[in-house]
Amino acid sequence: MITLMLLALFVLSVNMGSIHVTYGELWSGLFIKYNDKVAVILDLRFPRIIIAMIAGGALAVSGVLFQAVLKNPLADPGIIGISSGSGFISAVIIAYFPALFFFTPIFSFIGGMTACLLVYNLSYKNGFSPLRIILVGIAVNSVFAGLSSVFNSISGQNYQSASELINANISMKTWEDVKLLAIYTVIGFIFALIISGRCNLLALEDKTVRGLGVNTNILRAVVSVSAVLLASITTAVAGTISFVGLIVPHMGRLIVGSDHKKLIPFSALLGAFIMLLADTIGRLIAYPYEISPAVIMSVFGGPFFIILLKRSDKTYGN
Amino acid sequence: MEIENIEFTYKNGKKKVLDNISFKIEEGKITTLIGANGCGKSTLFNVLTKNLKPQKGKVLLYGENIEKIPLKKFASKVAIVHQYNTAPNDITAEKLISYGRIAHNGFYKRNCDEDEKCIKFAIDITGISDFAKSPISQLSGGQRQRVWIAMALAQNTKYLFLDEPTTYLDIKYQIEILQLVRKLNKEYGITIIMVLHDINQSIAYSDCIIAMKDGKITANGNQDKVITKELLREVYDVNLSVEEIENKKFVLAV
Repeated sequence: MITLMLLALFVLSVNMGSIHVTYGELWSGLFIKYNDKVAVILDLRFPRIIIAMIAGGALAVSGVLFQAVLKNPLADPGIIGISSGSGFISAVIIAYFPALFFFTPIFSFIGGMTACLLVYNLSYKNGFSPLRIILVGIAVNSVFAGLSSVFNSISGQNYQSASELINANISMKTWEDVKLLAIYTVIGFIFALIISGRCNLLALEDKTVRGLGVNTNILRAVVSVSAVLLASITTAVAGTISFVGLIVPHMGRLIVGSDHKKLIPFSALLGAFIMLLADTIGRLIAYPYEISPAVIMSVFGGPFFIILLKRSDKTYGN
Repeated sequence: MEIENIEFTYKNGKKKVLDNISFKIEEGKITTLIGANGCGKSTLFNVLTKNLKPQKGKVLLYGENIEKIPLKKFASKVAIVHQYNTAPNDITAEKLISYGRIAHNGFYKRNCDEDEKCIKFAIDITGISDFAKSPISQLSGGQRQRVWIAMALAQNTKYLFLDEPTTYLDIKYQIEILQLVRKLNKEYGITIIMVLHDINQSIAYSDCIIAMKDGKITANGNQDKVITKELLREVYDVNLSVEEIENKKFVLAV
């Protein structure tokens, strides 16, 4: 179902924007013979659509993992500072070491891990208090976001691609970016699927999980690293996007339940759908201006999330 | 299981919560820990179940220091039901119980026949087959507690630790749980170590009672002999009379 919806949206989205072609033209342009318009769509529109989908999926899965590992329904890589940590480092790398382009995700990962370790260390006190994680996360997030803004103000004009990253602008993405994002995200997705069964255990009390013979510290570390990997790679390519990682897992839980073996793949697809929807709306709503999907996500995501919470007693009943 | 000279102090704490504790848990018996709030019985429970590391002393399981036993191996020998448990609302009882098999399974290889047998045994003996497929949120407190016990039983161990298994339950469910515990002990020879609050239930359902106060053991022995007026005064700091009815001891806890 969600796969079909994603496909339909993809097909619609491909043909939305300043250049219009019929689907017949598109088909023949893609697979049969060269067509100017289709070539432009292929080089400009396809990459951003694919990036929106992969980024949405990766952020959603990262959100699921963070919510599981921190036992906190409010956790989201954007909110607790992981994305801004990796965003800041990526922007610096892109601006000053453009030769390292293909390795940006690695530096981004280091930035994300730094933010993650900061949040964990500062908020750990006889276990993770949900409130403290969010408070520390917000503080870490604002420091890195602030640093990014400073960096953008000082050198934004000179380093356009770094500035695009900070503003989460995905309109100028190329196939090169798609390749970069896809390679690392697939690794993250595979990790997430492998540990999905174990993620279910995180919902039980730590002592109980230990009693079952599972080392909770190792499990936490593995899940956290996977979550940071997915969030930071996305940030390295698409910039800092909040709310996807927060909303999608909740929607997913309402639809498929809390079993991570189902929730993780479903959230990946749903995240891709939501993000592509946000990007497509952003392209159309104020045409010819474009609104970043990150902004759309915040504007529409917030109220939607509140409605979801109010309507549901399935997950938050007691 | 042998406990030798355990000493434990919490981080930042000045007082020893456990002070030179030594005793032996006899196999095939029901041993109950009693004592006032803050006497150290929960800490001791956590030391025995590998959740806290004592600063001094050791706990031996079949002669092996439990600190040296990896968690997974420990879980295949000792099952634990903690006092406080949480689970996602939509998980089924059966799914939860199947987690009890993790200790016996590798990441990929599993022994399905053995798993199924143990899960079925756990479901049958705890009497939860009627609602094994129901989500945990629809179960009552007493039913949930039986599910947690079933999860521990699926681990198929010779030792079962229970931390206040009857707390938060109505009297009917308390009795149900205690009778289940007795059945597990008598019919299946499982060694039970539990923490209980109710002194009368401790007497009725244990073979051995260990009473604690201020991190020390004040009495250890046969349930009929241990409980006296003097002991209750020492351990709980209250004056209660202990009566004998048909050769069974009862504490008038009012």
